[in-house]
Amino acid sequence: MITLSNIEKVYQTKTIETVALQNVNLHIPKGEFVSVMGPSGCGKSTLLNIMGLLDEPTSGLVEIDGTPISKYKDKELAHIRNQKLGFVFQSYHLINDLSVLDNVELPLLYRRGASAAETRKLAMTALEKVGLSARTKHFPAQLSGGQRQRVAIARALIGQPEVILADEPTGNLDSVMGEEIMNILLHLNQQDGTTIVMVTHDENMAHKTERLIRFFDGQQVSDARTAAFNFQQV
Amino acid sequence: MIRHLFKLIWNRKKSNFLLITEIFFCFLVLFGVLSFIVYNVRNYTKPLGFEHDNVWLLTMRPSTDSSALNHQNLEQVLQLVRTFPEVQQASLTSSNAPFAFSQMNNNLSYGNVKDVMADFYEVEDDFKEVMQLQVREGRWFGMQDNASHHAPIVINKALKQQLFGEEDALGKLIPVNDSTNYQVVGITEHFRAGSEFAADEPAFFTRLNLPRSPNSFWSEVLIRVKPGTGIAFEEKMVKQVAGIGKGWALEVTTLEKMRQNKAKLTMIPMIALGLVCAFLILNVALGLFGVLWYNINSRHGEIGLRRALGAASGQIYRQFIGEVLVLATFGLLLGVMFAVQLPLLQVFDVESIVYTVAILGAVVVIYLLTIVCAFYPSRQAAAIHPAIALHED
Ligand SMILES: Nc1ncnc2c1ncn2[C@@H]1O[C@H](COP(=O)(O)OP(=O)(O)OP(=O)(O)O)[C@@H](O)[C@H]1O
Ligand SMILES: [Mg+2]
Repeated sequence: MITLSNIEKVYQTKTIETVALQNVNLHIPKGEFVSVMGPSGCGKSTLLNIMGLLDEPTSGLVEIDGTPISKYKDKELAHIRNQKLGFVFQSYHLINDLSVLDNVELPLLYRRGASAAETRKLAMTALEKVGLSARTKHFPAQLSGGQRQRVAIARALIGQPEVILADEPTGNLDSVMGEEIMNILLHLNQQDGTTIVMVTHDENMAHKTERLIRFFDGQQVSDARTAAFNFQQV
Repeated sequence: MIRHLFKLIWNRKKSNFLLITEIFFCFLVLFGVLSFIVYNVRNYTKPLGFEHDNVWLLTMRPSTDSSALNHQNLEQVLQLVRTFPEVQQASLTSSNAPFAFSQMNNNLSYGNVKDVMADFYEVEDDFKEVMQLQVREGRWFGMQDNASHHAPIVINKALKQQLFGEEDALGKLIPVNDSTNYQVVGITEHFRAGSEFAADEPAFFTRLNLPRSPNSFWSEVLIRVKPGTGIAFEEKMVKQVAGIGKGWALEVTTLEKMRQNKAKLTMIPMIALGLVCAFLILNVALGLFGVLWYNINSRHGEIGLRRALGAASGQIYRQFIGEVLVLATFGLLLGVMFAVQLPLLQVFDVESIVYTVAILGAVVVIYLLTIVCAFYPSRQAAAIHPAIALHED
């Protein structure tokens, strides 16, 4: 699905040069639920941005379904993001001036041939999945943090992407809420076969996924199957 | 997408309020100025109804109060003027000669139509030839009017329309007072003598009969000279006229000069308003640009998000241009709602087409203005890298 080879990412500002990622080699196969852990500033969000085609590595190769992304033009990258990828961001990134329903519908706005009625129906279904069908007319400011994150997840779901990239989806939530979000993601992975890459600070969450990659200072330090994977295998 | 934009703008109506108000007021001012300009330009393109080239105006101010003597001298002056080979025709006129800074008007009523305000011109039979008027119906004044029972008048098309509508006007009597009536003997085309920018207002001519008006004096003569007649003849004529009217103050000017003076009266405010308007537009443009620039820059997070969700950079660009157009549309809708009151309530006596053109013109200018102002900020927005945009939030 996604393959990274020899990825290096250097942020260049006037005074300092930050190496955010270094010598990263990863392959995420279809249908896998991967968690990424590491201390703050070790490059997790940067990694997700590169996987999500939002950013380009300074050097190295990014392949989506076997095709290097350097082959694509901006328009084609946008198309891939729209069709194949779903994002859940660290800080939700909802548009405050749009209702919950409108926020969830956004990805389909950029998809050709999606009729308004169809879009509405899909948005309702997505909101049902995250248990928010009673809040469709609300605005993000009227929701709790957990509810906002669920809206963001519904938005990531609506386009039925092959991959969901989630950056600390439970980071700002209490454990009960975090649990709920985690269950939604697990469900997606198991029922729909959605590939998920999730950044997390929570060991418990990470151990519910199949594979755990640890980062330190821009480098992969470990990449291993979890107990959950072994459990699933048995 | 359009629906999405309307929703977005509508939900942001509070923060967009100022921008919409700015566009609204800009529209109103533009509409006012354009109405004024369109009105004048439209009048300008209509025929004047007369030919002013090679027409001179001789003005005479007698030095004595003896009206009998003055009248006698005036008859001699006219006789003299008409004998010059350079002169084709000459006609006395009331002081409101074409392009003069003088006006005379009168209320006319006919049947149910009451008090139509019309300019009136007291002129001699030769006036038609001097000014080369076109008589479309009936006839101009002539010797046969000497015997007529009623005071003959020739009216212009505009007056005919207002007084008689579709009815035949020729021969109709218009009461002046208890003992006299005007009788319509002819109808001319346009007669817009005030200025080239004057509207096509109702006007009529009464017959000035010098021999029949003893002790009366008219101080202005319109003279049609042969093409190419110049200053030498003017001097010769003035000298000979001065020989008749001893001590008279004489002045000769051309209608062309008077036309230019009169045109300035409209052109200057039109240009001034145009300049003020241009400055206003420049100001609004700068303001608009600033606000858009700020708005778009404070929405980097949103831009990044949209890019992440699959918007191509061109779509971001079109979104922001689209938003500005929607904003402009809100402002313009408000503005047009106000503007259409003018023709609907007929606040001024101006044809609706003038307002229609002004509204359309102002709408087009404002749309162009907003597109131009939104162009650069939107380009910038579209160029923002999605990762950076998301990072900034
Ligand atoms: N746009 C940028 N410009 C400069 N430096 C950046 C930029 N984005 C990230 N960095 C730097 O790159 C490094 C990795 O950042 P990143 O956001 O990937 O960390 P992270 O692992 O997601 O941290 P956290 O757990 O706190 O979210 C950090 O040192 C950060 O300062
Ligand atoms: Mg991060």
